[in-house]
Amino acid sequence: MIRSVLNICTREWKRILTRPDHYIVLILMPPLLFIFYALIYQNQKAYDLPVVIWDEDHSALSRQLTFMLEQTESIHITGQVNGMEELKTLMQKGKISGAVHFPARMERDIKSRHPVTIPVFTNASALVPGKLIYSDASTVLITAASGVILQKFQKLGMTEAKAMALVMPIQLDTYRLYNPAYNYQQYLVPGLITVALQMMIIMVSVLAINTEWNEGSMQELHGLSNGSAGNIILGKTLAHLGISWINFILVVGILFPYFNLSRSGHHLELFILFNFLSLACTGIGFMISVLAQDTMLAADVGLFYTSPAFVFSGFTFPRWAMPWYDQYYAQLMPYTSFLDGFFQVYFMGLPLSYAGIYMLKMSLFIGFTYFIAVFFLQQRFKKQLAYAAS
Amino acid sequence: MQHLEHHHTNSWWALLLREAQLVAKDHSLLLTLLIAPLLYAFFYGSIYSNKAEEQVPIDIVDNDQTGLSHTYIQELRNTQMVQIRALVPFETAQENMYKGITQGYLLIEKGLEKKVMSLQGSKVVLVLNAARFLPSSDLLQNITTVTLTVGAGVRLQYNQKQGMSSDISMREVAPVSVDYHPLFNPGSNYGTFLIPGLLALILQQTLLIGLSGGVAAERQHGRIKDWINTANGNVSTAIWGKGLFYFILFGIYGYFFMNVNYRVLGFSVLGNGLELGAMILLFILTLIPMGIFIGSLFRSQLLCTQVMAFSTYPVFLVTGYTWPLQELPAPLQVISALLPTTPFINLYTAIVQQGAGINDRLPSLVHLCALWVMYSFVCIWWLRRIRERDSHVKLAVGA
Repeated sequence: MIRSVLNICTREWKRILTRPDHYIVLILMPPLLFIFYALIYQNQKAYDLPVVIWDEDHSALSRQLTFMLEQTESIHITGQVNGMEELKTLMQKGKISGAVHFPARMERDIKSRHPVTIPVFTNASALVPGKLIYSDASTVLITAASGVILQKFQKLGMTEAKAMALVMPIQLDTYRLYNPAYNYQQYLVPGLITVALQMMIIMVSVLAINTEWNEGSMQELHGLSNGSAGNIILGKTLAHLGISWINFILVVGILFPYFNLSRSGHHLELFILFNFLSLACTGIGFMISVLAQDTMLAADVGLFYTSPAFVFSGFTFPRWAMPWYDQYYAQLMPYTSFLDGFFQVYFMGLPLSYAGIYMLKMSLFIGFTYFIAVFFLQQRFKKQLAYAAS
Repeated sequence: MQHLEHHHTNSWWALLLREAQLVAKDHSLLLTLLIAPLLYAFFYGSIYSNKAEEQVPIDIVDNDQTGLSHTYIQELRNTQMVQIRALVPFETAQENMYKGITQGYLLIEKGLEKKVMSLQGSKVVLVLNAARFLPSSDLLQNITTVTLTVGAGVRLQYNQKQGMSSDISMREVAPVSVDYHPLFNPGSNYGTFLIPGLLALILQQTLLIGLSGGVAAERQHGRIKDWINTANGNVSTAIWGKGLFYFILFGIYGYFFMNVNYRVLGFSVLGNGLELGAMILLFILTLIPMGIFIGSLFRSQLLCTQVMAFSTYPVFLVTGYTWPLQELPAPLQVISALLPTTPFINLYTAIVQQGAGINDRLPSLVHLCALWVMYSFVCIWWLRRIRERDSHVKLAVGA
């Protein structure tokens, strides 16, 4: 049996290295695609987004605030506007991403104890720039407001410490763990890479069995396997698993260090978790390949099944915010379980035991799909033999 | 002359019919072109039908257990965004975040109320799992607002104790406040932001995967000559005759998406519908020669479909929709400029989400037209080359 499995594994490697629909997807595409993803987010954050000032105050304070806004990472003051219409038009033309309005008499009102409201406008149809501008603008303006309150209390004869305690009675200390700077490259690229890997594995393994029937090579494979569907599936699995290890080394050993995406330690844990994903995806691919004789149909099913994995997994939009039926559908893809474990092992650096439940879920995929693949392939062999005998 | 025109019309009609028959016979194309666009549009759209996330779970470690800490927690409970799962000890809160049950925890220090009342600095620690951006940034924004509000309440009480009238003390509490106006997406919702772009991407990718797969199938089965012969040997007519089928089909999908899907998902087009329709048709016209060109690079329908399947995310990510164009490295900006999606998304989002007109984004219109012309020429040139190469091969085989 071992010799049979090893022969099939070696034969499958040769197939992978010689068939364009295998080696392009599994060998050539991964480095190209993964480098492309990493380069998109090379700047890590969005800097110097165009913002205009609508200054009706024309005071020293409004100039001071404008200067402070310009010092932030995301805001770059590109000009002045004189009204709401002009502001909106510039946004519609795509010239600006945000605006800050200093109302008339702002400085005077603050000094004469009249509350002042400073509106911040963003083009929220583009979510990333909008949120960054608001975050930086509100930090500057709240800091300025705190300064105003502080001065007032100090003028009343309060010590600086006590005045500060009144300005900020409850100080919120925030610890943003695992990605404190909200670095887009560190956040998105590992997710995009892993989702592409699951897609690659499935898109090729859906061709593993049906192409053998369609191209007339199944008889040879049948002979190599001693008539055992289990040997065929096991041999091919080892070959595909081997290729996925190469891609794992490419990602974790080369790309992550090169683009500073590596996290401390936990490579072994990540490797174990990745193997569960690989096996689950290969199992799904083999199951489709056994059930769908037509290669194009199998590829279409693979495409339809894998392409929504990223959005359903909850990577960018949390699953709890989706309707209940989409939350259930998300569980029908092994990538969802992998991602939950990946967050814990890769991003959070937790021991593998935290991902135990997710590995168990992926094991269910593995058990079910491999059973179906082996069972139906063996049934087909039996039918063929019965047909040949008759 | 009249005879020529009649002949011309006949070949267009013949090409349209030929394409319809080819698609009807190929179940892969049927799936990609007739079922996938509608299924994907509803399927993907449904994910974001709630538009925004709410009730992000956190735990609270309340080491103070006083009136002030209870008020603070109650204010947090009153927000839509924060879901306080439980009041738990520190270790449990940490473990719940590790397990993914919560997205963070808030640690209220012992003696908070006492310190606040005696004007000593007091702290509340917010620990967030920032590995996921959206929940952590929404939590941070909302908890910061609540903390500032509770702080203002403390100042109000202090001012009143100092003998200020309630009117004056109210004015003194927050002399400067920030009023946030997220334009064109008032709730800053993720769904409102993403769905329009997602529908455009579904329209584009199903068209490109189907059309390029179909053209690759023509090469694979040696039907390129037959295709061009149906157009009386005119490559340009061959391209646009084939493309007419896709133009009509995806024009209908475009209309359907912008009306039915938008309505189902609770969206409305803020700009002019006719301008939007014109831009969608121009976009489809640009994608047709591009799709035919891509498909004609392959000799296998399967390989073409495989490769095109991996283009979806890269194309979406470099068009400036989710990540500002100016932040891309220069070579990727060039790639982005070569994609019709980039100027189209710019025009489309301006019309759909911002109520702008084509006039406001003329450079993008020019860009899209230039890409249409470019891909048309490239496609005609490439198909002529394939035809010539094929005829040379046949001559050589014949000799």
